[in-house]
Amino acid sequence: MRLPSSETTPTGEEPLRAPDLDAIYRAHAGTVARWAAKLAGPGNDVEDLVHEVFLVARRRLPEFRGDAKVTTWLYRITERVARQSRRKDRFRRWFSRARQFDIEDAIAPTRLTPVDDLERRQSTAACYRILDGMPDKYRSVLILFELEELSGEEIAALTGLKLATVWVHLHRARARFLTNMKRAAGRGP
Amino acid sequence: MKQHTTKQANERNPIRERWTGQAPGSSDEALAGALLRAAAVAETFGAREISEVGACLRGKERFRPRPLAWQLAVAAALVLFGSALSASVSRVLHITSTRAPEQSVTAPTSLPLRHASRGAARAASPTPAPATIPEPAPVAAPVTDRPVVPRALRSLAMREEARPDKPELDRPPSAIEPEATPPPLPGASALAKESRLLARALAELRQDGDAEQALALLDEHRHEFGAHAALAPEANATRIEALLRLGRHSQALALLDAMAPATTGVGREMLVARAELRADKGRRTAALHDFDLLLLTGGKADSVTERALYGRATCRAKMGNGAGARRDLETYLATFPEGRFAHEARAALERNLR
Repeated sequence: MRLPSSETTPTGEEPLRAPDLDAIYRAHAGTVARWAAKLAGPGNDVEDLVHEVFLVARRRLPEFRGDAKVTTWLYRITERVARQSRRKDRFRRWFSRARQFDIEDAIAPTRLTPVDDLERRQSTAACYRILDGMPDKYRSVLILFELEELSGEEIAALTGLKLATVWVHLHRARARFLTNMKRAAGRGP
Repeated sequence: MKQHTTKQANERNPIRERWTGQAPGSSDEALAGALLRAAAVAETFGAREISEVGACLRGKERFRPRPLAWQLAVAAALVLFGSALSASVSRVLHITSTRAPEQSVTAPTSLPLRHASRGAARAASPTPAPATIPEPAPVAAPVTDRPVVPRALRSLAMREEARPDKPELDRPPSAIEPEATPPPLPGASALAKESRLLARALAELRQDGDAEQALALLDEHRHEFGAHAALAPEANATRIEALLRLGRHSQALALLDAMAPATTGVGREMLVARAELRADKGRRTAALHDFDLLLLTGGKADSVTERALYGRATCRAKMGNGAGARRDLETYLATFPEGRFAHEARAALERNLR
């Protein structure tokens, strides 16, 4: 592995000319952690995910030509790693016949009162159950728009989708979210 | 058609207002916003976590196997299995259609034979000795540090080492070969190889302290013998220990979650490690269940009981059960007055669990 010391820290938005994982890590680890936590949902260890993302990044660094922004490149890796992690987690839960409320147990505790904390855990678990019932392309866009509070243009830049496609996905994601939410509440078909 | 195009055109319109920005209310959008707001609370990933993961990346972390290789391996295994299955089925069908019933019964196919040899290997294998790690681990590390190879593995490895691998090369040529000597069972040598591999992994882990290398050997073991090998439970336990040494707690916990550790011998070590990891991850209900199980089935005042008592007290305190936590701490101090957590227990009791 080569981790040369960086002479110039990348701004994050400029195409990276000289591959320098150390600098990329220092500049983007926090962002990647946020994406990973939101995309993978509770029950997945953020540290493990970030570690995995940068292992993949290290492996693929020689192939990175700087055509895309570093953030776009890292986002795509994070999305893939988060998807794999969710798949493994789902399989593990199914295999070990874990109880449904394990997902609530897996949410990190906060400094809220016990009642507020419990409510937050239940809401988060319910939200991710609804999100998990959606196709990945809609799920990701909705998470980026609502949870990461990115604009349509920022989502388009990050995902590599056209802006019009982002809005189409978002409209459909919202419709699906509402349908799934009503179904979960026993009000839907 | 027109409706369809209008819908498509509407879907391209930008969305200006986020659900998460809506005021609480009873509309569906407001409810969705409330759910999404709860999920938007970010987990902490601060400077400490960044530097920890950074250090791991700068370390001698091995690259994981490429997914493509795994996919190819699985595809090859499926093709082989499918071919074997179809060959067996067609053979059975052919036999039943062309031969007399009594002949078809006496002609075993290769598949049952393989099962038989595997069964023999399993029968020959020693059952996992639950008491291979008699002394409990220090509190910080859930698994023992002592360079101990399980007794079952040691005896197996010694037996195999005593027997030369290629006796026909060392022996002088003899005109009279004992024809009656049966050939060694294929399962026996596989078991010996398996035990040697596992013993090497344990030595790497406990004697050399190289958890990475131990994991590599365990991967080799799984690749070669599969997840249902004769010594798979021992391999799994070693893998958990290696993962804990590397600080990969989530992966270790995932393995422990999929297990049903016994409440005796080494199973207690696993159970207390799982309980501590679950508590650490905030899964206190599940952790409490494990601690309860340990304390109900324990009996002797060993370090596992010590960890379980203190762990349960911590869990109970965090879950708001102050009286239960106090009872546990008092029991702890009565049983382990000079224990590892005695200082913390006394301090907690003095603070009245506040």
